[in-house]
Amino acid sequence: MRIGMQNRAAILTTIGYFVVLELMLVAACLYWPQFRDNTSALKVFAAPVPVLGDLVSYLEDKGAVAYVLGQHFFKGCSVLGVAAAALFAAGAIAGEAHRGTLEIYLARPISRRRLLTERYLIGATQLCLPVFLSTLTIPYLLSFVNETAAYGPLMLCAAHESLFLLVLYSATFMISVVGRMPLKITFIVLIFAIFNFAIYMVKTVTQYSLFRKSDIEVLLKVYEDGVPLGLWSVFIGLNLAFLGASLALFERRVP
Amino acid sequence: MGRAVKNGLVQNAILRAVTSPAISRENPARSAALPLGRLPEGERVIEARGLTRSFGDVLAVDGIDLDMRPGTVVGLLGPNGTGKSTLLRLLIGLVRPNAGSATIAGARLVGDGTAVRKRVAFAPGEIALYGEMRASDQLTWLMRGRGRAAEAKAIAMTETLGLPLRKRIHEYSHGMKRQLLFCAAMGPDLPVRILDEPTEGLDPAKRSQVLELIAADAQKGRAILLSSHHLSEVETVCQRILFCYKGRLLADEDPATLRRLAARSGRLDFASETAATMAAQALQGVACLDESRAVERSVFVEFVEGQEPFGALASLEAGLPKGAERPIGIEFGRLSLTDLYERVYGVRGL
Repeated sequence: MRIGMQNRAAILTTIGYFVVLELMLVAACLYWPQFRDNTSALKVFAAPVPVLGDLVSYLEDKGAVAYVLGQHFFKGCSVLGVAAAALFAAGAIAGEAHRGTLEIYLARPISRRRLLTERYLIGATQLCLPVFLSTLTIPYLLSFVNETAAYGPLMLCAAHESLFLLVLYSATFMISVVGRMPLKITFIVLIFAIFNFAIYMVKTVTQYSLFRKSDIEVLLKVYEDGVPLGLWSVFIGLNLAFLGASLALFERRVP
Repeated sequence: MGRAVKNGLVQNAILRAVTSPAISRENPARSAALPLGRLPEGERVIEARGLTRSFGDVLAVDGIDLDMRPGTVVGLLGPNGTGKSTLLRLLIGLVRPNAGSATIAGARLVGDGTAVRKRVAFAPGEIALYGEMRASDQLTWLMRGRGRAAEAKAIAMTETLGLPLRKRIHEYSHGMKRQLLFCAAMGPDLPVRILDEPTEGLDPAKRSQVLELIAADAQKGRAILLSSHHLSEVETVCQRILFCYKGRLLADEDPATLRRLAARSGRLDFASETAATMAAQALQGVACLDESRAVERSVFVEFVEGQEPFGALASLEAGLPKGAERPIGIEFGRLSLTDLYERVYGVRGL
């Protein structure tokens, strides 16, 4: 099978994203003993930000699994993943419009539904595959610091994180379907994400942050108790709604 | 057929004009009772009725009817921003009509137009390709959904035109990109091709080559609708010429009619608008003229049928009042499409 240049670019981007996630994970796992032994000092350091102080206390209490879930999913995947989601989705259609290639993209004898679904799935795979692949290495990496973690629950956490990221990806994708300026869309989405991350750190309004839906507490709950049906239903519903809206809007998109 | 003469008197002009015995602005292929763009009963590969599309307050295409038969080349002419490209995009389903319907090669234009695009090959007017791709990859990308045979034919056509497929698109010139899009549109074995300015940006040799390929393709029974700004090229390959202006069809001519019309049309250029206006008024009563009309600093004239050119020019000279300004330039028998369009339809800017 011949791999087109655009698919090659997508594969390389995915590999790059995976490598960065994995490097962050390796560093986080190997740092665990120092973190464990210095939580008292970290609590003092985090004292000015109560949310951060609570977080350190929580990790001290819950141990290595909570720590690695926080490091990998909440810090690594959420921060890097949000940027990746914005980048992958913003250029999906708006990028074609911006380059002027939307006309030739649509002029081929392929239905718009198929074109858009392909684009969506390629971006979603780019976004989620590295999360799953890097998560698979956690038990192995933890073994270097004499800790353990179960594959099954870790995969559920990866699925939870992926669904969370996909919501942002799908929303950005929908904006891209009607937009023409991918950079502007990326910028707006990143500002929105940074704002949400900022309010996460403010104790009085932290409950309004989107990152509350995929923070260490939620992830540990997924790890220990299994699928949170209510939250996953909301995630899946939102993803389907954004994808449906994207398809409807794309049907009438003018090149 | 004629020569422009600057700064000379009318009677000294050296002209070779062709006059023709029968001149009609009606396309003989159409019945006078039919609306513009339509054809009498018979096999039609394109049948569009009342196609309308607006963008906000701008009415880009305003109730256009269009019929085409297999094996014909139809040229769509008109000034920039007059709705030509929108009409072509409507016909392949890239843009949805606000009103009207179309059937192309048996497929109705509904939904996103995929059924139509499976029967129509399209070369867009806007050249935007993926600069980082090799031309071979770009061609494969363009041919997706058309099959291997179509891709092989498109590749063969790039060889005919001498396009280097190993080069990257950003190394291609404007004309080479245009030819690549043309090859992609000519590859599939489909009943209809829609080509938006296929020769724009090409050098004269390549332009002729492309026109020959279009003509040869039409001879195989394909219907080809192309937009252009060049009368010379559309009259070479087209069996019908449609004039589009402000979203409407102004005329549906055959090239022979246009040639005959051009042959008996002239333009007198004056130094000022006042002189042109006065000359147009003075020439109203000249017997050899069917019509004279001033447009800015020019007077467009249409001679009566069968008028001998030297005699006609002498009559013009005689028709101008004594002491009035004389023309500083004359074009007779060889009006450009711009001039012809302006003279016949009063439309500028082609």
